[in-house]
Amino acid sequence: MGIGRRDFLKKSAALTAASLVGINLNIKKDGVTLGESASAGENLMRIPEEVKNSPAYKQEGGYTWVRGVCRFCGTGCKVWLGFKDGKPAVIRGERNSAINFGFLCMKGMLFYKLFRHPDRLTQPLYRKSKKEPFRPISWEKAYEIIADEMIKAIKKGEWTPYGWSGIAYYGSGQALTEETYLFQKLFRCIGTNNVEGNPRLCMASAVGGYLTSFGTDEPAGGYADFDKAQTIFIIGSNTAECHPILYRRIMHNKLKNPGGYMVINVDPRISPTSKIADIHMQFKPGTDLALLNALAHVIVNEGLYDKEFVSKYCAFHIYTKGRDKNPLLGHQVSFEEYKRFLSKYTPEYAAQICGGNITPEMIRKVARRFATTRTVSIWTMGLNQRTRGVWVNNLVTNLHLLTGNICKDGADALSLTGQPNACGGVREGGGLCHILPGHRIVKSKEDRESLEKIWGVPKGTIPPKPGYHTVKMFSAISYTEQDRKRFPGLKPIHFIWIEETSPLQSLPNVRRFREGFARDDVFVVVNEIFPTRTTEFANLILPTPFHFEKTGVYGCTERRSQLTPVAVKAPGSCRPELQIIVEFAQVLAKKLKRERDPRLRARAHTVYQCVAPFIEAAKKDPWWELAKAVWTEYAQHVTKGRDSTLAGATYEVLLERPDGVQWPAPTVEIARKGGTLRRFVVGKDPLATEFVKKHHLEGWEVVDYGHLHCLPTLPPESRYRFWIWLRPYKGPAEPPDAEYPFVLSTGRVIDMWHTASMTGRILELASDYPYAWVEINPKDAQRLGIQPGDLVLIETRRGKNIIPARISTDEGPMEGMVFVYWYDQEKHRMINFCTLDAFDPGSKQPEFKICACRIKKYAPAQPLKQYLVKLVKVKGGYLHNAELDPNER
Amino acid sequence: MEKKRATEERRKFLKVTLGAFLSGALTSSCDLSRLKNPKTMVKSPIGPNILRPPGAVPEEHFAQKCIRCGRCGEVCPYHCIKYFDVKDGGVFSGTPYVNVMEKPCYLCMKCVYVCPTGSLVPCAKEDVRMGVAVINRQICVTWQQDKTGLMCKTCFSVCPFSGVAIKIDHDFRPYIVEEYCTGCGICAYSCIADTWYENNGKKAITIMPIKWKKIKEIKLEDIKKS
Ligand code: SF4
Ligand code: SF4
Ligand code: SF4
Ligand code: SF4
Repeated sequence: MGIGRRDFLKKSAALTAASLVGINLNIKKDGVTLGESASAGENLMRIPEEVKNSPAYKQEGGYTWVRGVCRFCGTGCKVWLGFKDGKPAVIRGERNSAINFGFLCMKGMLFYKLFRHPDRLTQPLYRKSKKEPFRPISWEKAYEIIADEMIKAIKKGEWTPYGWSGIAYYGSGQALTEETYLFQKLFRCIGTNNVEGNPRLCMASAVGGYLTSFGTDEPAGGYADFDKAQTIFIIGSNTAECHPILYRRIMHNKLKNPGGYMVINVDPRISPTSKIADIHMQFKPGTDLALLNALAHVIVNEGLYDKEFVSKYCAFHIYTKGRDKNPLLGHQVSFEEYKRFLSKYTPEYAAQICGGNITPEMIRKVARRFATTRTVSIWTMGLNQRTRGVWVNNLVTNLHLLTGNICKDGADALSLTGQPNACGGVREGGGLCHILPGHRIVKSKEDRESLEKIWGVPKGTIPPKPGYHTVKMFSAISYTEQDRKRFPGLKPIHFIWIEETSPLQSLPNVRRFREGFARDDVFVVVNEIFPTRTTEFANLILPTPFHFEKTGVYGCTERRSQLTPVAVKAPGSCRPELQIIVEFAQVLAKKLKRERDPRLRARAHTVYQCVAPFIEAAKKDPWWELAKAVWTEYAQHVTKGRDSTLAGATYEVLLERPDGVQWPAPTVEIARKGGTLRRFVVGKDPLATEFVKKHHLEGWEVVDYGHLHCLPTLPPESRYRFWIWLRPYKGPAEPPDAEYPFVLSTGRVIDMWHTASMTGRILELASDYPYAWVEINPKDAQRLGIQPGDLVLIETRRGKNIIPARISTDEGPMEGMVFVYWYDQEKHRMINFCTLDAFDPGSKQPEFKICACRIKKYAPAQPLKQYLVKLVKVKGGYLHNAELDPNER
Repeated sequence: MEKKRATEERRKFLKVTLGAFLSGALTSSCDLSRLKNPKTMVKSPIGPNILRPPGAVPEEHFAQKCIRCGRCGEVCPYHCIKYFDVKDGGVFSGTPYVNVMEKPCYLCMKCVYVCPTGSLVPCAKEDVRMGVAVINRQICVTWQQDKTGLMCKTCFSVCPFSGVAIKIDHDFRPYIVEEYCTGCGICAYSCIADTWYENNGKKAITIMPIKWKKIKEIKLEDIKKS
C-alpha cells in the first residue's frame, strides 16, 4: 500500500501543529492548501442559543458536546460531537438513541477530522471555459454568473411539458432535507421538472416497490423489529459492512437466542455478512426473481400462507403491457390466477435457473422457515440496482404479505437506505423528476395545485410532466449520436447545478458523460466541500459547509427524521446552501424581470415568491434561523395532512429527542413520543385509526391507506389493501457470454464512503484502504494464473480497469463473478468506466450490479498509491491535478 | 473435514520450512557452541515491532549469516526493509529489519529470493513468521466498546489472512490465532486505536518477535526425515 501511515501521521501532526500556530505549511507537493487554518486560541464553536438551552447540548469531562446525526450511511446513528478548547476533537455515540445505543463504526467516529481539512474548498472558484484555470471570485459575482448562464441556457432550450429543457438540477441523498426541498422548489418555480438526485442510483427501485405494493413509499416497520424477529432474511445487502450498526444488532439478537434466531443470507458473493448466516443461499447473479417466486410457490402450495391476512388485507395485481394504462396500478387478478402463475416456479425449476449452491430442498426449507416464524427481510443495492429492481422489490414484499409477516412486531419488509438522507430528503422532499415534496407526484394535478397553493405561486407554475431521470439527464448533456438514438426527442441540457455529489464518478458507464461535461456548451455549477471527480468539470465551484457546520434534518431508513444543528464555524467564506439559494433567487428574479420573453418575465415573480418567506431569516442568521424557517414551511405546511406528515416534529422536538421522530407524526404530542413505529396498524398508526373511522371500515385491524391504493377508480376488492404482484422471472440486461464470460458486480467497503472524497481524506481510514481492488474466486484465479495482489485487467464492452486482485477462500464472489469496490478516484481503478447504464423501465435505476466482463492478469503485484483529486496552483489560478495529468483525463 | 486436512497439511509444511531454517543454520559455518550461550552476544535490536524480514533464520544466527549486501532492501517494492546502524548494536549494523509501525511487510516475498546467503529462506507467504501480533485489550476500542461504543474491525479487514490469522468474535472484538499469524504487521500498522481520544495516541497491536525457544521445539528427527 503506497501511503505510509507514519508519513501520513507525521504530516497530519505537522498540519495540526501548523494550523494551531497559523503557519501555511506547504507539505503537499501535488496539491495546494486552500483550507483556512485556525489559530491557537481560536474558538471554532458556533452553537445557537436555542441549542445550548436544549438537551442536545452538554458539558462533560472537560468537553463541550453537541448532538446530531452521523454524516455517512443510512443507518442514521445519533452522535455527540465533542469540543476541546473550542475545537472539534471527538465523536461518540448517543447511548439513549434507539438506533445505535451508543455504538458507531469508524467512519462515524472519525469524520470530525474533516472540519479544517487542508483540502477544503473555501472560496467560490470560477472559469469561463473548462480549459482555463479557476480564479477566486466573490459570492455576489458568482450569483450574477449563475443567473446569466441559467437564463442563457433556458433561451437555448425550449418550453416543454416538463418545463424549460435547457436547465437541470442534480441533488443528493447526502444533502439536508431543507436543502433538497428548497432546491427543488426553486427549480420548479423557475419552471422545470429536470430535478433529479443520486437516490435514483440507490433507492429508486425501492420507491417503485413500495409504491406498487403499498400504494405509498417507505416501509411499515423499523429497526426495532430485529429484536422481536425470529428470522432475518438478508438479500442483496452486505449489512456487515454497509450498515454495521444494524448488523451488530442482528448479531446480538442471534447470540441472545441460541437456536431461536435464524439469519438467512442470499447473495452470489460470500460477504462478511455471511459469517453470521445459518443458511447462505448463493445464486447466479440476476436470477433472484426466479428464486423469490419459488419461495412463494412453496408457501402457497404447502398452504403455509396466512389465509386470513391474505383474504382480508391483500389483493393480487398484474401489469400487462398494452392492456393496462398505468404500470403502477396494473389490473386485479384472483388468487387462483396467482397460483397458476406460480405453478411454473417449482423449487426444481428455480434451483436449475439459480445455480450456485441452491437446491430444491434449500428453497423449501427457507420458505417454510420464512412462513412459520416472524421474519424481517432487509435488502439494499443488490435488489435495487437491477433492471428489474421494482419487480424484485415486489417479490420480497409479496412473501411478507402472503405469510402475514408484516405490520406485526418482528415482521417487516425493510429496505435499508444507503445514503443518510435519501429517504428523508429526496424521497420525501421531492428531489426526483417525477415526485414532489410530501409524497406528491408530478403527474397529479391535484398534488401540484395543493403545493402551488402552499407556496403562494400561481396555478400552473409546476410543469405537468416529469422531467428527465438521471441517465437521460446526463445523456442530454453528453448528447452523442448514441444518446439521441436511445432517447428519441432528447433535448440537450446546457446548464446543470450539482449539489453535494460526484456523478462523474458514480454514474454507470461514465466515460461519455465525462466527455460531455468537458465540452464548453454546458455550464456546470457544483456545490462541494472537497475537489472531486466532478468539480474537475465545473465552471463554478461553490464552497459549502460540512456537516455540523450548518443546520438541517436527515431522514434515515425507518422514516426517522433527526436534526443536526450547526456547531462548528465553516472555514473561509463558505455559505450554507440555503443561503445560496435565497440570495441567488433574488438576483435571478431581478434579471428575469428584465427579460423580453413574457414567459420568462412571469417567472420573476414565482422565483421571488419561492424564497420570499426566508429572506428575513437568511439575513438574520443563515446558519440556524434560515434552516428552521425552511423546515417549518416543509414540515408544518407541505407535509401536513400527507402520509409522511412531520407537522409535529418541530426543531424543538427534534432537539429534545435522542433519536428523532418517525412519521407519521401529525401532532407535537405524537412527535414527542417518537412518532409512529408501525404504519398501517389501527390503534398504532394515528393515520390508520383516522382512516378506518372516516371510511367506516369496521373490523379492519390493518389498512393500506397508501394514496395509490385508495383511488376511487379501483375495484373495491383492491382498495385499501396491500397488493401482491405477479412478476415473472427475467434475467439481467447483459448476461455473460463467450466473449465476456464473467459477471462484474460493484459495492462498498466498510470504511470508505461512496466516492471517498471525504473518507479518503481521513488519514486513518485512507491508509487502510488506499485503493480499490477486485475480488476473484480462487478457482477462477487459479485457472487464469492470477495471484493475490496481481494487477488484473478488467474489460467490458464500455471500458477497462487495471486493478489489484484479492483472492480469498473465506470470502468473495462465486465462480464466474468478480466484485470491485467503486470508491477509488484513480482513473484506471474507477470501475464505473466499465459498468452498464441499462436501467429499470419502472424506477429508471441503472443496473450497477450486473454486467458482462472479461479479466486477465495484467502485471505482477506492485505498490500502488492512493489517488485523490486535488487543486493545484498554476499560472493564473487553480487547476485539478487530474486536469494536468494526461493519464487521468 | 476439508479444513482439518488443510490444517494438517499446513502444519506439516510448517515443520518442513522451519526445519529448513534450522538445517540452514546448522550446516552454515557459524560457531554453534557460541550460540548455546546467547549471553555472549550483544543484545539484538530486534524487539517489539522491529522485526527481521520474512524467512529470516533465527536471530541467533542472523548476524553471522547475513553479509550486509543490501539486496533485500533494494528489491522490496514497498521500501519496508531498513538496515541497522552501528549505534543499534555493532554486530548487527548493516543487517535488515522491518519496522512495522513505519511500514509493514506486504508479504510479496521478493526479498527472500534475492538473499545470496540464505539468511532469508524462501517460503510460502502463509509460512512467514516474522513475529506474532499481540492485541492489547485495554487499548483496543472494540474490546473497550462498553466505554467507547465503537465497532472497529480495521485489523481484521486489512490482515492478508483475515479469518485465519485474525478473527473477530460476535462483538467484532479481534483476536489472533497465533498459529497462523505471520507477523507481517499490517494490522499493527493500521490499528486505529490511537485516534480514540482517551488512548493518548497508543495503538492496540504490537508484533512480538518469535523467540528462539519456539523454533527449538521442533524435533531434530523431523528435520532429518524431511
Ligand atoms: S453505521 Fe452508518 S450511521 Fe452509524 S456510525 Fe457507521 S456510518 Fe455512521
Ligand atoms: S516480503 Fe516483500 S514487502 Fe515484505 S520485506 Fe520482503 S520484499 Fe518487502
Ligand atoms: S494478524 Fe496481523 S501480523 Fe498477523 S498476519 Fe494478520 S495482519 Fe499480519
Ligand atoms: S484495529 Fe486496533 S482498535 Fe481496531 S479492532 Fe483492531 S486492535 Fe482494535
